[in-house]
Amino acid sequence: MIRKTVDVAVVGGGPAGLSAALSAKKNGAANVLIIERGENLGGILNQCIHEGFGLESFGVALSGPEYMQRFIDDVEKHRIPYMLDSMVLEVSADKKIIVSSKEGLFEITSKSIILCMGCRERTRGQILTPGTRPAGVYTAGAAQNFINLKGYRIGEKAVILGSGDIGLIMARRLTLEGSKVLAVAEILPYSSGLPRNMAQCLDDYGIPLYLSHTVTEIHGKKRVEAVTLAQVDERFKPIAGTEKKIECDTLLLSVGLVPENELTRKAGILIDEQTAGAVVDEDLQTSIPGIFACGNVLHVHDVVDYVSLEAERAGRSAAEYAQGKEKKPQTIKTTPGEGIRYVLPHQLSADSDVKLSMRVMAPARNVKLILSDGDRVIKTLMKTRVNPAEMIQVTLKKNELAGCKKIIVMLQNAK
Amino acid sequence: MPNKKYVCIICPNSCEIDVEYSGKNITKISGQTCKKGEEYTRKEFTSPERGLTTSVPVHGGTIPLVSVKTSKTIPKELIKDAMAEISAARMNAPVKIGDPAIKNILGTGVDIVATKNVPKK
Amino acid sequence: METRFDAAVIGGGVVGCAIARELTKYKLKTGLFEKECDVAVGTSGRNSGVSHAGFYVPAGTFKAKLNIVGHELMPSLCKELGVPYIAVGKIVTAKEEDEREYLYKLKETGEKNGCKKLRIIDQKEIKRLEPNINGIEALHSPTTAILDPFLLTISLAENALRNGACIHLNTEVKRIEQSSDGFTLETNNGKYAAGILINSAGLYADKIAAMAGITGYEIHPCRGEYHLLDKNKRNLINGAVYPVPPKELGGLGIHLTPTTDGNIMLGPSAEYIPEPDDTANTSEVMDKLFKESYEFLPKITRKDIIKSFSGIRPKLITPGSKSPADFIIEESRKIPGFINLIGIESPGLTGAPAIAKKVAEMISKIRGGLVENPSFDPTEKPKIRFAELSNREKSELIKKDPDYGIVVCRCQSVTKKEVIDALNNPLCARSIYSVSKRCRATLGRCQGGFCLPKIIENLEEQHHPQTSDINYAGKGSELFTGKKEGIE
Repeated sequence: MIRKTVDVAVVGGGPAGLSAALSAKKNGAANVLIIERGENLGGILNQCIHEGFGLESFGVALSGPEYMQRFIDDVEKHRIPYMLDSMVLEVSADKKIIVSSKEGLFEITSKSIILCMGCRERTRGQILTPGTRPAGVYTAGAAQNFINLKGYRIGEKAVILGSGDIGLIMARRLTLEGSKVLAVAEILPYSSGLPRNMAQCLDDYGIPLYLSHTVTEIHGKKRVEAVTLAQVDERFKPIAGTEKKIECDTLLLSVGLVPENELTRKAGILIDEQTAGAVVDEDLQTSIPGIFACGNVLHVHDVVDYVSLEAERAGRSAAEYAQGKEKKPQTIKTTPGEGIRYVLPHQLSADSDVKLSMRVMAPARNVKLILSDGDRVIKTLMKTRVNPAEMIQVTLKKNELAGCKKIIVMLQNAK
Repeated sequence: MPNKKYVCIICPNSCEIDVEYSGKNITKISGQTCKKGEEYTRKEFTSPERGLTTSVPVHGGTIPLVSVKTSKTIPKELIKDAMAEISAARMNAPVKIGDPAIKNILGTGVDIVATKNVPKK
Repeated sequence: METRFDAAVIGGGVVGCAIARELTKYKLKTGLFEKECDVAVGTSGRNSGVSHAGFYVPAGTFKAKLNIVGHELMPSLCKELGVPYIAVGKIVTAKEEDEREYLYKLKETGEKNGCKKLRIIDQKEIKRLEPNINGIEALHSPTTAILDPFLLTISLAENALRNGACIHLNTEVKRIEQSSDGFTLETNNGKYAAGILINSAGLYADKIAAMAGITGYEIHPCRGEYHLLDKNKRNLINGAVYPVPPKELGGLGIHLTPTTDGNIMLGPSAEYIPEPDDTANTSEVMDKLFKESYEFLPKITRKDIIKSFSGIRPKLITPGSKSPADFIIEESRKIPGFINLIGIESPGLTGAPAIAKKVAEMISKIRGGLVENPSFDPTEKPKIRFAELSNREKSELIKKDPDYGIVVCRCQSVTKKEVIDALNNPLCARSIYSVSKRCRATLGRCQGGFCLPKIIENLEEQHHPQTSDINYAGKGSELFTGKKEGIE
């Protein structure tokens, strides 16, 4: 085994990893190392060739590869070393990382570690879609890889299950490449993608969206021959008599993303079952001191710019930890209340301003977002529109946190 | 006054914008939260435009395809023809972000440019 | 002149492959025909992967004898072939008072059959063996084992090939004719001749028999659906956990079985269906499977399911039958030299090594003796599983071949070298199915979402296939409908 020692090890060289590594470096960590399992830096954005990235960070709409290149150039400029084709097999609580690469098996000892493994797609197996198991069932991301990076045609007539952003983007992509997208079905009564993607990916191309619908059966022995769509009731059970069989050769799934926390779990880090990511404090430190998490491995984001920003914070914290800077106690607990699915971070100090990230349970209009400490309302924000597809961020000032023991976030009708 | 609703596609906020109009003229715009939103909506009302992203085969590169985009938006109704023209385009490695694959596509004055660096194999 | 075999096996399931391999121990030109893209595509790969101790099968039957002998042969066979085999043991658990009696009956049958080490255990002992399982009394069988049924079948076929058998994949027997010295087979890949024919066609055994003019057999397909759980739930049980079987003669009841790969399987159901190849899953059964398993093991959630699949039992009995049917393994009286294996359902996997020996004996009798093949090599190199090695072993491997350092399948930690080895398998099976069953890539929690593109990249590098030749499991299951023009 090849042994190495670094100050900050970053697991993952995608949007979160690069931003975290840069931030760690800029905040004084001398010896930063990025470990990436792919053959390039950039992660999933290499295949996200559509535009819409970078508005928050750079003020321009960039494609995924352009957005990433800015970070890659910066990593090169700061001479941050990175390992490619290198898979982290294990992260231990004493901050040793086992990495497999063609150069050999490495044991990297790091003062602090930033987990940036991103997320994976939910599959047909996880949503328990009945029917046969033919070729032609793809997750939207795998399809995106085949089409955008390899130039394969994955099918001629497709149905897309799930209206997540990747599904919507792929509906347009398939159409542009000459395949026919017959329908997008969404089990929820509202789209789980951003409204702008509904407009520019579906409406522009006249692709029908069926809300409160799901695929109840996949047909075809060798390759997909058809799928059955059915309407669902409020408990997501298919309603008998609403089935319609659609002939197609492809079923694309865009049914949610799951943070890839296998390494995290194995390390013994506490996981929030709601986000499926680590429990973190305002420094984005996990339950193991010196191990930090950010980006989609912490919670699935809607916009990559927010991943980069969150990762900056984790990078800074990891650099400070590696330099032995004393940490403020984090005693204020955050809790999602009525109408809120989750709030991050889980613990706060009252020592600095802090940005909370959260998602609502269901779409709503004209609501009040209330942050309280249980007795006292700390902050109220009026929202004309909230949507589970969109992450909400709220900054709390240091003085607003003074004297709080907890922060409860809830949604209330404005009227 | 007749009105139309738009979802702004400029940024993830996806503002819902209301347009009141008479004939070909906009009389009132509401719902946007920034200047870009207003610009987008005015354009969308008269002559909608879109950016187009796709990919082009690259010869002699470390990867087989390079992603490309329109350097500026093009009229929405030209998207299909633009895709047809792009399907014949090829690039040669090395490719740098911004290198043109096609200049002045369909006479629009807009170029198709690379959005990825592709080194030589 | 067409190729002539002394003995030809129809069907590349575990039984057919075990027979082909057994025959290569003798100087016999042996062939095997499989209509699918690989071996173990049918029932052999779609079951609980258990080597049964032999207490379910009625005493005195063929099934019982072959089960017991097969179970005895299995550990050494798996060792020879490098196939994972783990004697995890099994408990059959009574939950209600009136089920207790059944355990004693099972034990009695088992002991009559010759099962070893069976014992009845109480609640306390159940808790000790399986802390997450509730039961008032159970039958414990410590010798019951799990094995990888795909790898067993694949390794049998590969070993048969190494020892001189011809394995013809994608070759469907369409017609069988008797000739002066045996049989002529017409397939989609040409004609073959055979002195002795072995019908090991599983779900299609009745149809193959009918092709030769032997009528009267009827296979009733009986589907069993399964769920597969995420590996992170593997530690919820230690061994296999079975209920007292339902009264109807469908199967052994929905049980929990660990796999040698570290998952847990829930299932199977039992449902008679009209089509022998309808391996669909249905929402009703999927729901029922989960609910029944949940009663056993309340620590599982639906979110733990990573995949559902089904397999089909080739039953000789119909839904209403009162007693189970025995295996039919016999030379046709009407057509000498034609050996039928009909109704080989559970415990067919366990029985396979014994069935193979039985068939070899029958052939020896027909031919008046067999001559040993002195160069027969019974061993196959175990497939390297990078994920299961120690850091030191991993390190050594990467030094030997850097492709061991590149992890292709993240969920299962399968390396590029393992994928390449699977792609270059001696049977020349090139489907994604064949790769995954050999090296376990794509079978983890992301179900190939990340590694499928990588596997195809490796397939392209190794074999330069046409786009239309890239398929999931043989012709018709193409992954792509084309490729962008101008790509190098």
